[in-house]
Amino acid sequence: MKHAFYYKSKKVAINTLIHIFLLSVSVTCLYPLLWMIVSSLKTQDMIFKDISLIPHQFRLENYVLAWKEGGFGRNFFNSIIYTVSVVFGIVIISSMAAYAFSRLKFMGSKFLFIMFMAAMMIPIPGSFVALYVLLNKLHLRNTPIGYILCMINVGLSTSIFLLKTFFDKMPKELEDAARIDGCSKIGIWWHVALPLAKPVLAVVVVFNALAVWNEYILALIIFDNRQFMPLQVALQTFQGEFVTNYPLLMAGLTITALPIIIVYLLMQKYIVKGVTQGAVVG
Amino acid sequence: MRRRGLGIILFLLFVISGCCPVSVDSKPSISVWHWMTDRDPAFQELAKKYEALTGVKVNFELYAPSDAYSQKIRAAAQGTNLPDVFGILGEKRDFASFIKAGHILDITSYMEANNSNWKNNFFPKALAVNEFGPGNSYGIKPGIFGVPIDIMTIQMVYNKKLFEQLGLNPNRPPKTLQEFLDIGVKIRAAGMQGLVSGWGEVWMIDCLANNYAFNIMGKDKVLATIRGEVAYTDPDWVKVFSIFKRMQDSGVLAKGLVTMINKSAEQIFANEKAVFAFNGSWCVNVYKGMNPSLEYGAMLPPAASSQYPMAIWGGAGSSFMVNARSKNKEEVVKFLIWLTDQDQQAYLAQATNNLPANKNSLTKIPEILAQFARGMDYATHPNVWGVSEFSLVIEAFDRGIQSIIIGEKSPEQVASDVQKIKEREMAKKRAK
Repeated sequence: MKHAFYYKSKKVAINTLIHIFLLSVSVTCLYPLLWMIVSSLKTQDMIFKDISLIPHQFRLENYVLAWKEGGFGRNFFNSIIYTVSVVFGIVIISSMAAYAFSRLKFMGSKFLFIMFMAAMMIPIPGSFVALYVLLNKLHLRNTPIGYILCMINVGLSTSIFLLKTFFDKMPKELEDAARIDGCSKIGIWWHVALPLAKPVLAVVVVFNALAVWNEYILALIIFDNRQFMPLQVALQTFQGEFVTNYPLLMAGLTITALPIIIVYLLMQKYIVKGVTQGAVVG
Repeated sequence: MRRRGLGIILFLLFVISGCCPVSVDSKPSISVWHWMTDRDPAFQELAKKYEALTGVKVNFELYAPSDAYSQKIRAAAQGTNLPDVFGILGEKRDFASFIKAGHILDITSYMEANNSNWKNNFFPKALAVNEFGPGNSYGIKPGIFGVPIDIMTIQMVYNKKLFEQLGLNPNRPPKTLQEFLDIGVKIRAAGMQGLVSGWGEVWMIDCLANNYAFNIMGKDKVLATIRGEVAYTDPDWVKVFSIFKRMQDSGVLAKGLVTMINKSAEQIFANEKAVFAFNGSWCVNVYKGMNPSLEYGAMLPPAASSQYPMAIWGGAGSSFMVNARSKNKEEVVKFLIWLTDQDQQAYLAQATNNLPANKNSLTKIPEILAQFARGMDYATHPNVWGVSEFSLVIEAFDRGIQSIIIGEKSPEQVASDVQKIKEREMAKKRAK
């Protein structure tokens, strides 16, 4: 009896500690989001004077103002197009490349793979000027297609690495069976490899969607024309050198964060599976 | 199937519209790239006015934040895609490298045309930042290469309500260091916070210390110290370091000042929890956002000596440069002359709470801005000194003042430490 009580108390104590730890982690993750939403409903001076989490007045018009003053309409559409195109491009190219690196034997495959991995080590801002000059020579500067190509390029290395790691572990017998059924190499990639890689693809989609959705520096450098700018650039409208319009910035951030939260929630099941299956290595 | 088709059509329309050449307008147009988010609406308004007046379309394109803007300018310079007008953020040597690469037009002849009409409109110290003098160390042909759009000064501000609570005249800020220190005693007795500033970002300490160095020993001796001709252990420098000890002892400095970042300092002052702040003129805009009803005035740092005038850091806040390869150079210069004219400068100051670069606009702007702008008579800046101190010496200097404030070192000790580093750096330089 005493024994059972001891073990029960120990379990409860450990569980309590774990839950306290998890709760504190959740609070540190959720508090900035909560602060963002609360601040988006205050006035500028109230943000500095009133630190309470429940504002005295809810200024919902901040959202309308942020949308109008930031010119979010066009930028929002641009961001959706860029995110969808880049993620689609990355998924197709990286899955094909990863499959080829994993399964096909061709001259220089290892060297090429190492080159792709080396590209992961180059800090992105370091390549901006070079990308600018290249796009300029190709007459693709200040065009959406130029930006999309650059962003596909930026996301390829990591995605190839993730997918190759998965394809390396995929049983070869499945491919043999498909080959016996008359599948070509492309057919195996499409009908066998890709459906099996769904959890890893979900990770690739979410990671890259986040990267494209939040990117603005390359866009600022490549585009001269405001009508091509993504949503994140519009957010900078509220952030001055010395003065920041916090209510509108927070309202803008809330608007900006919503789509990516929705994508995450929709793909959460696959992401967890992808991560637990070892899709994210290193 | 139909949905997929619609998606593809939408995407193609988007990409094609992005690749179409921009329609050619017969009217001349000027493109301006800038990073000043807070000034963009005012710039757009002025562009409309200018188009209505002259038929010339001015496109102000905002690229913020400033570090992304700097990268864009560098990339555009590499691809020779710079706009007609742009600004350069960075140090004077960055500015010089753009001139050397042939990206910036020498506007001296325009400035000096008609008996220097245009040039004379500006505060001379605002122009100095954009000027390269004879024999400059950058090897640039002497001349003026930029147009100041606004100016900034770094001074002290005081809270008028708290002044009244301390029994002081809110319209008479302290003029001498002794008066300032006496107020410190009252502040401590009343349990208030004294001076707040971003002294955690050490450059602001450097700024105030240099202000006092100019006031105590004069510009020539300060520059001689930087050149290595006068030691930091000189009694005048010890006096400069001692000012910080005296301030701390009197109670005029707020608690936690040495680790305070400027944003926190601004918030404390705006919430009327500190009597003084040491801040740049941009604070007018900041305080307005944080507490529109704040009553405060600007003042020069109280003088420690009457031998030399008090100096403050100031100069051009933002400047525009003309692209030397622009096809519309004449139109661009005409526009910049108009933009920096009295009325446009007053409008910019009123709309953005920045100080006008045109000295004739002062009568048309709010009093607090005019108070800051009048400080231009005392303004100086390391960028115009022609000599620069070793960064390790500056670091030791600023950190030393921090340790004086927290009571870790005496002014004499700090002076000796700084001098040792100075001698070591000079020896290294000589060895090269």
